Amino acid sequence: MALSLFNFLIIAGLHLFPFIEAATVTKDFNITWAYGNPDGAFNRSVIGINNQWPIPKIEVNKGDRVVINVFNGLGNVSTALHFHGIFLRGQTEMDGAAGVTQCSIPPGSSFTYNFTVDQPGTYWYHSHVKAQYPEGLRGPFIVHDPDMPFKDQYDEEIVLPLSDWYHQMVSTTLMSRFISFANPTGAEPVPDAALMNDTQNLQIHVQPGKTYMFRIINMAAFAAQYFWIEGHTMRVVEVDGVYTEPAEASMLYLTAAQRYSVLVTAKNETGANFAIQGSMDQDLFDAVPDGLNPNVTGWLVYDGAKELPKAQPLDAFEPFDDFGLVPQDGEKLLDKADYTVTLDLKMDNLGDGANYAFFNDITYVVPKVPTIYTALTTGDLATNPAVYGVNTNAFILKKDDIVDIVVNNNDPGKHPFHLHGHNFQVVSRSADEAGPFVANASIEAAFPSVPMRRDTILVRPNGNFVLRFRADNPGIWLFHCHIEWHTASGLIATMIESPLELQSSLTIPEDHYAACRAAKQPFKGNAAGNEKDFLDLKGANVSPKPLPAGFTARGIVALVFSIISAFLGMAAIAWYGAQPLGKGTEMAARGIVAEAGEGVGEGEVTGTRPVGKLE
Amino acid sequence: MVNVFAVPVFFICFRECLETSIIVSVLLSFLKQTLGPQHDEKVYKKLVRQVWLGVGLGLVICLIVGAGMIGAFYGIGKNYFALTEDLWEGIFALFASLIITLMGAALLRVSKLQDKWRVKIAKAIEAKDTATGVKLSHRIRRWTEKYAMFVLPFITVLREGLEAIVFIGGVGLGMPASAFPLAVICGLLAGVVAGYLIYRGGNHASLQIFLIISTCFLYLVAAGLFSKSIWYLQNREWNKIVGGDAAEVGTGPGSYDIRRSVWHVNCCGPEIGGGGGWGVFNSLFGWQNSATYGSVISYNVYWLAVIVGFLALGFNEKYGHWPFLKAKAGTADDSSSDTTPPIHYSDKGEATEGTVREVR
Repeated sequence: MALSLFNFLIIAGLHLFPFIEAATVTKDFNITWAYGNPDGAFNRSVIGINNQWPIPKIEVNKGDRVVINVFNGLGNVSTALHFHGIFLRGQTEMDGAAGVTQCSIPPGSSFTYNFTVDQPGTYWYHSHVKAQYPEGLRGPFIVHDPDMPFKDQYDEEIVLPLSDWYHQMVSTTLMSRFISFANPTGAEPVPDAALMNDTQNLQIHVQPGKTYMFRIINMAAFAAQYFWIEGHTMRVVEVDGVYTEPAEASMLYLTAAQRYSVLVTAKNETGANFAIQGSMDQDLFDAVPDGLNPNVTGWLVYDGAKELPKAQPLDAFEPFDDFGLVPQDGEKLLDKADYTVTLDLKMDNLGDGANYAFFNDITYVVPKVPTIYTALTTGDLATNPAVYGVNTNAFILKKDDIVDIVVNNNDPGKHPFHLHGHNFQVVSRSADEAGPFVANASIEAAFPSVPMRRDTILVRPNGNFVLRFRADNPGIWLFHCHIEWHTASGLIATMIESPLELQSSLTIPEDHYAACRAAKQPFKGNAAGNEKDFLDLKGANVSPKPLPAGFTARGIVALVFSIISAFLGMAAIAWYGAQPLGKGTEMAARGIVAEAGEGVGEGEVTGTRPVGKLE
Repeated sequence: MVNVFAVPVFFICFRECLETSIIVSVLLSFLKQTLGPQHDEKVYKKLVRQVWLGVGLGLVICLIVGAGMIGAFYGIGKNYFALTEDLWEGIFALFASLIITLMGAALLRVSKLQDKWRVKIAKAIEAKDTATGVKLSHRIRRWTEKYAMFVLPFITVLREGLEAIVFIGGVGLGMPASAFPLAVICGLLAGVVAGYLIYRGGNHASLQIFLIISTCFLYLVAAGLFSKSIWYLQNREWNKIVGGDAAEVGTGPGSYDIRRSVWHVNCCGPEIGGGGGWGVFNSLFGWQNSATYGSVISYNVYWLAVIVGFLALGFNEKYGHWPFLKAKAGTADDSSSDTTPPIHYSDKGEATEGTVREVR
């Protein structure tokens, strides 16, 4: 029951009656430093494309081939581009995850991303090098669909990216402060501003009575945003590239990396303008700094001559719950899982004193050899997770297995999880504080018959969720928290899907290896770069040692030494105290009395002869 | 139970009061045994009054400060004391440690003198003029000698009292007001009883034995204080680095600076929730669940200095000169024109050259 009949018809229909010829969209991207001041408060270095920032929107049609010729013109840092939510069926090497599906592109090197897009919807692209996209290297990636089921219900499309924004360099200044002994609680740096369409005070001119489709993308590094339009309701028709049965919403909650398409019908009169409001979820912030404005406001402008009203304060945020959305294609709940990956999430400190994020007590550390090359060069052992290194959280998925990913969030924070290469059915999601997921018949019976599908999903504080998908896309796919701070502190697992099939089907373009050579990064053998003994991981990248638990040898020596010192000291006191009076003391005592004796009589002490401190 | 008796508050009061009453009772017992009414009523009474004056004044000041602090807390909503707590704790502890050390040695030494000499010395010091004629530095020294029986209890009460207020302020804010009185009274009472027992014990034992034991105890406290003062100053640095009160995260990771850690156990913290028995352990022996290089080294250095100091002192008493130095001919009168700093018999740190000549 891989595909429903309905699905089958759609796919068959596409092949039989293509509406347009598939085209090739070619872009030449020179990734360079630029300047940006989107919140008008601070001009900073940003990473742009072709010396421009914000970076360009990529817009293609379903079925198009996309060719992006990247040149790294940054001069001082490596880069890589990931196309968030694009399945890349059979093209996992184009996924852009540095250290996973490719070597990062060193300065001065070129790299071509060449893939076909067979899915419609709202996506985005961004750097997948540690903490780099918050410097500005992120933008919308829109796949238009001639067969869009709601195409008759709207007149115009508006792409509306939201984001958080930092004034300081995220990948360097703030990151070194975040993963540090001086930040033992792992408090994430709080953004300085919220952005809408990479600016603030955005005006969107609308015409009365028309219906607009907003493609809302949260490109944030960290902050989720509440989103609403005063005086208007929204009809959700797409989440993360999956069309849904229309659902009314007055407020959305978009975690970092989530997308929604909503239909908004303009009012028939032009008497007033309306605030469009984004508001960062401050629950995520460890401490809200004084003076932080978590909000970003734009306006639906009906009449440019009229005032732009301030957003009205709210008593409480009551966002739409995405769990109840129903995919428009009606894809049924997949069969019971063949394989379940259970990931227990926690935050903890390691021996360097810094705070890290863990799945099943392992924090992710990027391997020496990108995982894809390990899968391709370790022969039959590629199905043994050990060759991918202890710190990659590698899970081997068998072709066409139904896979459940269970995340148990043992942390009081909210975490948005993203799976590369797939979307997934969200079959269960708990409320806050529900604890770990416990499978039982009644919970499974309550799984929705047509579950919502998307590619980025929020797990609630100390809650859990269960995701289900079919492993039908051989490749190396990361599953990670899309809060960039947590990606950096290790909240990543690696799904290795049908590695033996990859070995027979995949051809890596030469420029991929060239990037490795230029970066002097090995691209053969296991995670440690060992090409002979694949199970010998000596020299692999590993996380810092755990914190010493209690007394170590050093502590015991110190404590014993201190106790001995105290006893010796007391012995010295006892020895002294028991020793009979000697002539020295007596003389000193005589001195004191003699001196003071004179003083008593004469009212003044003329001599300055010092005396002992005796009471 | 929780509503009428706050256990953390009890432990805080108990341990702060215990430390104070050990010191006060040792002093009182010492005075009674050495100068007691049978020897010299007048001087004895005067010195006892000094002790109680120190206790009283310390108490009054810390009540005023405490009231001001609580007022500031509820009025302005800011715990000003907690912000600088580590700093003044560190400085106070260092100061108290030095004073206890000096006094301890002095008491022990005096206990060896014959009765008549004790009285003579007490009278002599009592009669010293602190106002006129002599240099300021000498006046200060004389003043401290004369009022040592005041200074030590005063400093102790002040420090312990402020500490108690800050700690209670820290743990007690979430508790109902009804939970305080009984816990505070019981804690203080328990501390006072312990002190009284020491006092009674001290009066009945042989003076020398009592003083040897109590000096050992005082030095344990002082060693702990010395180590704690370093610990507090380092903790202040750490709090600055993490930008807050590290103790807020409990005893787990993040509550200490891994770079300086010698040992750390995720429990038994003397400052968490009043500290319980570990708090008492801390105030008597300077226990830390998270020891730093600074706190361990300073603890051992303190004892090393004490050992060296007492050995030198013993040597000096026996032979009339310091080890490794020739005995100087002549009498005490020789140095009458000497203006270099005086010998501090009891100060283990200065039992070296430089000050030696003046002994003799």
